[in-house]
Amino acid sequence: MATAVEIPKLGNTVEECLIAKWRKQKGERVSAGEIVAEIETDKATFELTAPLDGILLDTFFEEGTLVPVFTNLFVIGEPGESVDAFRPKSATPAQTAAPKQSAAESAPAEPERGTAITSTAPSASSGAFSPRARRFAEERGFHPAAVSGSGPAGRVLEDDLRKQYYTSARPSSAAQRRIEAGEEARGDGSGAAGLILTGDLGPKATRISGIREKIARRMRESLAGTAQYTLNASANAAGLLSVRAKVKASKGGPDININDLVTFCTVKALMEVPELNAEFIDGKIQKHAEIHIGFACDTPRGLMVPVVRDAHLLPVGELSLKMKDLSARAVAGSIAVDDLSGATFTLSNLGNFGIESFTPLLNPPQVAILGVDGIQVKPVRRDGKIEFIDSIGLSLTLDHQVIDGAPGARFLRVVREKIENVESLCTI
Amino acid sequence: MYDLIVIGAGPGGYEAAAHAARMGKNVLLIEKERVGGTCLNVGCIPAKAFLRSSKLFHECGQAARFGVRLGSVEFDMPAVVERKDRVVGTLVKGVEGLLKKSGVETISGQAKLVARNAVQVGDKRYEAANILLATGSRPAVPPIPGINSKQVLDSNTVFGLTKIPKTIAIIGGGYIGLEFACFFNEAGAKVNVYEMLPQIATGCDQEISSRLLQILKRKGIEFHLSARVLGIEGNTLRYSAEGAESSISAECILNSTGRAPVVDGLGLEEVGVDFGPRGVKTSEMGKTNVAGVWACGDVTGRRMLAHAAVREGIVAVNNMFGKKDRIRYHAIPAVIYTHPEVASVGRTEEELKTLGVEYRKSVVPMAVSGRFLVENEGESGLVKVLAGARFGEILGVHAIGDGSSEFIIAAAVMVETEMCVAEASEIVFPHPTVSEALREAILGVH
Repeated sequence: MATAVEIPKLGNTVEECLIAKWRKQKGERVSAGEIVAEIETDKATFELTAPLDGILLDTFFEEGTLVPVFTNLFVIGEPGESVDAFRPKSATPAQTAAPKQSAAESAPAEPERGTAITSTAPSASSGAFSPRARRFAEERGFHPAAVSGSGPAGRVLEDDLRKQYYTSARPSSAAQRRIEAGEEARGDGSGAAGLILTGDLGPKATRISGIREKIARRMRESLAGTAQYTLNASANAAGLLSVRAKVKASKGGPDININDLVTFCTVKALMEVPELNAEFIDGKIQKHAEIHIGFACDTPRGLMVPVVRDAHLLPVGELSLKMKDLSARAVAGSIAVDDLSGATFTLSNLGNFGIESFTPLLNPPQVAILGVDGIQVKPVRRDGKIEFIDSIGLSLTLDHQVIDGAPGARFLRVVREKIENVESLCTI
Repeated sequence: MYDLIVIGAGPGGYEAAAHAARMGKNVLLIEKERVGGTCLNVGCIPAKAFLRSSKLFHECGQAARFGVRLGSVEFDMPAVVERKDRVVGTLVKGVEGLLKKSGVETISGQAKLVARNAVQVGDKRYEAANILLATGSRPAVPPIPGINSKQVLDSNTVFGLTKIPKTIAIIGGGYIGLEFACFFNEAGAKVNVYEMLPQIATGCDQEISSRLLQILKRKGIEFHLSARVLGIEGNTLRYSAEGAESSISAECILNSTGRAPVVDGLGLEEVGVDFGPRGVKTSEMGKTNVAGVWACGDVTGRRMLAHAAVREGIVAVNNMFGKKDRIRYHAIPAVIYTHPEVASVGRTEEELKTLGVEYRKSVVPMAVSGRFLVENEGESGLVKVLAGARFGEILGVHAIGDGSSEFIIAAAVMVETEMCVAEASEIVFPHPTVSEALREAILGVH
């Protein structure tokens, strides 16, 4: 029996999703568990899988369309089964949705209105071209991005195309093949009479994903809407390394790593300095009793920030397990949207890359973010002698609108103390 | 005040001057010798005139193979020179006519830049908004003891010979040396060629140059490769090859070790034009580093070919008068007028390997063309097509065999316009012509 799959509600605040990519096409056979489509919310990309084996009978929306949650997206069944009962009733989906009329495949296709940019080459079925214009285009492989038609209702006539063909820059045969393979022309053609040669081509610019666009906007807003500055300090990492060594030696317990320990110390410091566990919204400081720790996580889909709720209630082992679970799900793309929001303070760790100091960007309306750097050997003077210690770098970015240098520095000092006394803070 | 002063009336200079004059510009052309430059007076044209005579002489010896019986045949060098002079004279007159008709003012004299917009000729100063350097090149003189002695000919003085020597030693196995080697060999001299590199016609596709070497050896020319000429005393040439020193006596010794741009005595240092021993540095628009000073042809040291110079000159003129243009060097054909001819355009197989370009190739013998067999009794040749591995764009065409100089332009159009094998295969070639070998080679690219 044919089965429809709808867009799930991926979080409390999610009302619609973008159809990012069809991984399977209409008519293809799919097995249960296979990924059929990728959809994006403004926070992350998700994969929709086939609930059962069968044929992908229909896909109701084009890539790039915004579709409300709980709307049927595709149908799986056996050949010959009708999908009409599942077709979303009206073409009212949010904004630009344009349901595909499967029955009208052979009729002139509707002009694409999706938000995704797809090929603009007029296809053989394009109704806007006269038959002679179409033949002219096909014979020469000439598919201009735009051509104005002088025929009735803007219909493109052969003459319109011919004019454009002989006056606009044309690619050489070799360049044409490379354009079809995904390259694009940069600037004017350098060949005879402006012929576009292969040397004039380069990789095509690719549109960033929805999630990347979201990251981009948040980063711009972060810099535009706050008065950020960064304080750099370092702490003796002997305690961290000693606890880590103990964890490695003891089998069976959670695999607590340096990052987990620094996060744990930061939570303890926030409990002492609650001014930084706060948000600055519309001229008001909102301090939080609960500490929800966001941590930056590098995933194949880009930067994600999973959130450990009520981190102040968690012993270090549980905190570690929770963070590992969240980051695994973020990397796999199966994390829930609600696990990606609500942080009161954020950490970003680039220590693994050997970064010595950096400028983390605030996640407004939060007022602080702590960057964790790599562990380095550092000389210190003790009793008139030079000793070498392992030292971990800390880069704290603050919003100067509400947090001045001194309180920021005080917090950083508390974090250092916690890190240097980590052995007494947690029992392994 | 002129719009343009051109220094040097070789092909680059006179074509540029005429082009500018046809655009309605006020043009002065200055030449210290004879209009036509190296090409017309002591280069392409006289060499081809000589080669035509020697080829005919050689063919007369072969006439019986074509079913034609001749009496005794003689090579009359004074008559050969006279014909050459006649051809050159006709062409020089043609150039003079062209310049006159297009309205170029031509004066005779040695020009020197005295400012970025002024040239001194004798005691007269001429000013112009633009100056185009087209001073060409002269035979290079390598540092070989005795090379400057009167007995050593170069590609200028060789045209003054009144009789064919019994023996001639040619220093340099590049295209100039090879063309003269063919001429003297066909005219009856014993020819020895000394080349410093392990191959002849360096720059050519190696498959072609080794075939050329093989054919020329068979015709009786003796080659000494990887040979360093140590010195010249009288008629004796000392050289070392394969680790041993030897010497040879020859009635004539010809220095054909290449050509050097003419950059001296032009006032380039004074005006600050950037140049080195390899020529005046230019952009692909023909500009030098000094605004208003342009250069084209051999003086730039880029491609020392008359047809490259012509295009460079026209590009420079177009740019100086506001029409954007640029020269593309990737599709300039080149021909060596040996017997057999060698013609090529685009990348050689060696270049493609160095550049890491994946390619497909097709090589066919010239004998696939019926016309080639008809015209060339007992001769052979080949055509080689190199195309991109993925899309089949034609990257290089290299041919050896008489007739190839006339059809290489078809290949040049294909390379210039980046035509792919698929399109080129649809082009109809006339039958029966030697060019059909090119068609077969294109069809052979898989």
